[in-house]
Amino acid sequence: MSDLALGYLSFPFLLLLIFLRAPIGLAMLLCGIGGLWLATDGTTVFMARLKSEVYSTFSSYNLSIIPMFLLMGQFATYSGMSRALFKAAEAWLGHRKGGMAMASVGACAGFGAICGSSLATAATMSKVALPELRKYGYSGGFSTATLAAGGTLGILIPPSVILVIYAILTEQNIAKLFAAAFIPGILAALGYMLTIAIYVRIYPDQAGTRERINYAARIKALGAVWPVLLVFGLVVGGIYQGWFTPTEGAAVGAMGTALIALFSGSLNWQVFRQSITETATGTGMIFFIVLGAGFYNGFLALTQVPQELSAWVTLQGFSPWMVMVLILVFYLILGCLMDSLSMILLTVPIFWPVISGLDFGMTTEELAIWFGIMVLIVVEVGLITPPVGMNLFIINSMDRDTPMTATYRSVLFFVGSDVVRVFILLMFPAITLVFV
Amino acid sequence: MLHAAIERLAAVMALLGGVVLCLLVVMVCVSVSGRELSDLAHAGPLGSIGEWLINLGVGPILGDFELVEAGIAFAIFSFLPLTQLKGAHAKVDVFTSGMGEGVNRALGTFWSIVMAAVIVLITWRLFIGMQDKIRYGETTYLIQFPIWWAYAASLIAAICASIVSIYCAAMRLTGQRAI
Repeated sequence: MSDLALGYLSFPFLLLLIFLRAPIGLAMLLCGIGGLWLATDGTTVFMARLKSEVYSTFSSYNLSIIPMFLLMGQFATYSGMSRALFKAAEAWLGHRKGGMAMASVGACAGFGAICGSSLATAATMSKVALPELRKYGYSGGFSTATLAAGGTLGILIPPSVILVIYAILTEQNIAKLFAAAFIPGILAALGYMLTIAIYVRIYPDQAGTRERINYAARIKALGAVWPVLLVFGLVVGGIYQGWFTPTEGAAVGAMGTALIALFSGSLNWQVFRQSITETATGTGMIFFIVLGAGFYNGFLALTQVPQELSAWVTLQGFSPWMVMVLILVFYLILGCLMDSLSMILLTVPIFWPVISGLDFGMTTEELAIWFGIMVLIVVEVGLITPPVGMNLFIINSMDRDTPMTATYRSVLFFVGSDVVRVFILLMFPAITLVFV
Repeated sequence: MLHAAIERLAAVMALLGGVVLCLLVVMVCVSVSGRELSDLAHAGPLGSIGEWLINLGVGPILGDFELVEAGIAFAIFSFLPLTQLKGAHAKVDVFTSGMGEGVNRALGTFWSIVMAAVIVLITWRLFIGMQDKIRYGETTYLIQFPIWWAYAASLIAAICASIVSIYCAAMRLTGQRAI
């Protein structure tokens, strides 16, 4: 069998292993090792690679940004900022129709600015916002759906762990990707708020009202969130301005949220241990996938599959936009089944050469950034798409009296808002590239 | 008894890795502030305070980059035992969720055995890799510390990960625990 055929065959085999519940990192590692074994007729190559590549993956300076961002997010969880953000957003928006739900989305966006993970944002904000929403007469399904959708802002608004991985895979500038994610992130938050406004007009019985708060109290509530702005400004601004490398920025961010947690009085030994434990399992999971993907992609590169596929697509003369839409739809479907990170690691090394070989009328760098943001968004939609979106499960499990089906029904509105946004960003790449 | 010991091992390793990670965070912050301060002092706006800072030797930490690399490798290897024990690896269970408990248990056992085998393989290769580094006397570029030290620290953590994953596989195989 030729190497190329081996490369193509490895893909369905890998999917089979994954669908048979193999840990995704393990499945990729096995396919990578097995593929190298067959393609090079022996164990020498992969045994030699195992000697140094595991260590070099785990000791990568660029990847060390990931545990640091996870730690930053963990400390942020205990910093009390989720409550402050919700209080501030609620003071300004709470009296409107559906205002408490809008405030939850706003607070999620704020929390996303100091937390790079979607599940952590959804879970942390829900602890604060869910009881409040229910107290003011918001229906269970509407409340859980709002928070599940709001949670996806955690990964869209920089810093974002997934963007870091994408940047490393495609050798792009992390700072520029963060900058590019900013406007789509804000658009997402506004889109969700608009969705809420429409939703409460269709189902007025699903949301209660709350009295207006005076401006003095509003400004006071807003004043309490300054540490979030400071840390966000320092980390993202500092990386963007080139004051420090992304890894240094992540370290500064982790220190920043640790200090906020310390001054809020919630950082004791217990909380510290809890933060470490969560960071440890999160990091272990991510790096095992990164390791597996490294071997699998090494094998694919050897078989020339990405180049051949890219050349084939170019030769067919498909419209570039058609290819883009097909790839995004593929992500949307796969995103319902698989976690975002595994998906990015598995597919970007194959799809990026295909996309970069097509002419969209922009430079390679612009294309890489735009494609990255588009992929990030559709992958995130997968997190809230029924029936298997992960955010839905996390949030629904926090509100025992709400049946899953109620969450499903409400979240479809937010999925709709996502689809509209994907269309807009697809039609007007300039929106994404404004700060690049 | 054994289970408690394994749990403790995983928890201690994760905590050790976490402490190293936190130390790296502190070190990077110190290094960044040192660098920015020294740049500022050299640029002049601080005047005599700037000169005083320069004479004091304020600047970035030498080899901070290398220390991050060595430390983060140890931290991540130390996180693996807990990741194993908690079964925190990402999986897709949509397709198998309808297949009944027996099938799922068998699959879980099978993969935990494969996982243990792979982690033992990784540990063994890390050991061989370390011997290479000792043999060639490789050191880091700036502060010249032997790379095998970092390998050795990682190896200890990898051995713990092997012990934990073998335990997990054995418990599943004998049906005593599902982890």
